[in-house]
Amino acid sequence: MSNNKGSRPDYSRYMDTKEGWVDRRIFWEREIYEQELEQIFAKAWQFIAHDSMLPETNDFYTTYMGEDGVIASRQKDGSVRVFLNSCTHRGNKICYADDGNTRNFTCNYHGWAFGTDGELKGLSNEHVYDEGDIDKSKWGLQQARVDSYKGLIFATFDEEAPSLEEFLGDFRWYLDIMLDQDDGGTEFIGGGIKNYVNANWKFGVENFVGDAYHALWTHDSGFKAMNNNQGFPPADPTGSYHASVNGHGWEFGTDGLADIAILGQPKVLEYYEKMRPKMAERLGEMRSKIFGSLASVSLFPNCSFLPGIQTFRVWLPRGPHKFEMRMWTIVNKNMPDEIKQAINIGCMQTFNPAGVLEMDDGENWEGNTSVNKGVVTRKGKLHYGCGKNRRIEHEELPGIVYSSQFNDSNQRLFYQRWADMMNADKWSDVPTRYTPRYAGKKTV
Amino acid sequence: MTEKQQNNMMPSLELINEVQQFLYREARHHDNEEFRDWLDMLTEDIHYWMPYRYQRYRRNEKEPTIYDTAYYNDDMECLKKRILRTETGTCWSEDPATRSAHVVTNIEVEFTDKPDEFRVYSLNTVHRNINEDEEHTMIGHRTDILRRVNGVLKLAKRKIILDQNIFTNKSLNVYL
Repeated sequence: MSNNKGSRPDYSRYMDTKEGWVDRRIFWEREIYEQELEQIFAKAWQFIAHDSMLPETNDFYTTYMGEDGVIASRQKDGSVRVFLNSCTHRGNKICYADDGNTRNFTCNYHGWAFGTDGELKGLSNEHVYDEGDIDKSKWGLQQARVDSYKGLIFATFDEEAPSLEEFLGDFRWYLDIMLDQDDGGTEFIGGGIKNYVNANWKFGVENFVGDAYHALWTHDSGFKAMNNNQGFPPADPTGSYHASVNGHGWEFGTDGLADIAILGQPKVLEYYEKMRPKMAERLGEMRSKIFGSLASVSLFPNCSFLPGIQTFRVWLPRGPHKFEMRMWTIVNKNMPDEIKQAINIGCMQTFNPAGVLEMDDGENWEGNTSVNKGVVTRKGKLHYGCGKNRRIEHEELPGIVYSSQFNDSNQRLFYQRWADMMNADKWSDVPTRYTPRYAGKKTV
Repeated sequence: MTEKQQNNMMPSLELINEVQQFLYREARHHDNEEFRDWLDMLTEDIHYWMPYRYQRYRRNEKEPTIYDTAYYNDDMECLKKRILRTETGTCWSEDPATRSAHVVTNIEVEFTDKPDEFRVYSLNTVHRNINEDEEHTMIGHRTDILRRVNGVLKLAKRKIILDQNIFTNKSLNVYL
């Protein structure tokens, strides 16, 4: 897609999704990163928090949209507001805590106090202002648009953005596998872990969007540790897929087992085996078999999870060469406590900076990134050509579907979406590249 | 045993020395990647726990529980799995090997209600050097229960509180 803004390059030149390559500069250059903040993180819907993280009125959670600090705050009426974490007086952060419960957010600098709705309520020593100096109703915190999908709270700062439903599109059909497999929906285990990785944020997202391939090699040792010293079975491309919608991607098998087995918790396998008929009744045979298979998922631009292993995370950009990972464990609300705890233990043992699988990922992504400081290195391309001719139409599977989960297809389509958004002057310029089957329809 | 009685009963220098030697030996095994030797220093019912750490307002502070998120929440079986990973021969990120120095300080020994168990506080500062020039320092505040089993001290419980809110490294491949 070309664009007529002279100041911006044509970002589709940084890749060729037909030939299957991506330019290394998108993982390194500061100017490109700054455009990502403008064109993607100031425009796209982003995961903010799970409903269960702020259950009570006045509960809050602080996070980032791009590099913009925001506060998510539970309102009296049960809704959630998301607003900038920066005082409108001199700009200081108004909240330095990760989460908690509060009646207001008061700036440490001059004592300007904002309500949990983000409105400016009071000033310390207000008498130093004369009448007419300030109209408090005009100096509240900038609010984002907020919407949620089955427990996941999203926000965007772009008034022009399509609805969250349209942004997720037919990917809702896949998300329900994770979020709506049981009455009562999901919740996060208490607390969470955050860590820095000195890598470009896209390497984390693209790994989860489609990279089943790396698991067999990178995670051989971790998989053996969790599985009585048995390695992964050989890559079997049959009965497995890549599916992509608007840059979101799910790679998956259909055996319903492999990822649950990685938890190393036999009672969790038993639990899901008992649950599977109910899941099939609710979501259909196909979706009940997708859950628990070797799989990984990313939502464009920066949220990922592993169905079956149950790690859930965001990749917050911290400059072109660094991201902050925030991770949680997601479980079904109605699970017995014993199963929740088994998942909690198994998930953390595999996926956190000390996890036997996660430990091997960060090293790779830092290497992928840091090599590009070399000017000759940086001028090269990276190969994304695996499975370029495997596109299929599938009766049941919506989105752009490729056969075999060992594929670069979801990654190519993630970068395609990236280029589409980087090039777009407005949301209406962002093309929809798949044929929706569920527009305006429920997916359960 | 009341607190007053405990305070009156200072652990002997001999016991303090024995505990210190235990912790130093443990640190040496970690420096040298002698993980099986380290496992031998633990009781079969070991609980090795490093809970998550969030930054909260003082009024919102709460103690993490074992049902919350944790870096480690391990029993012996879990720890053996971690060690197994490093022995598979396919643990690429550990080859070349990590260089680490576990520096154990601020050791205090207290009696507990059980005559064969001692509460031990220590600070573990781990310096890690990996790849060409990557240097990391990680600090764990530890509260241990050491148990005398057949005359020999073993680690039965460890709670590690990390100083960092955002853990500033890509991996935690050393034991705090």
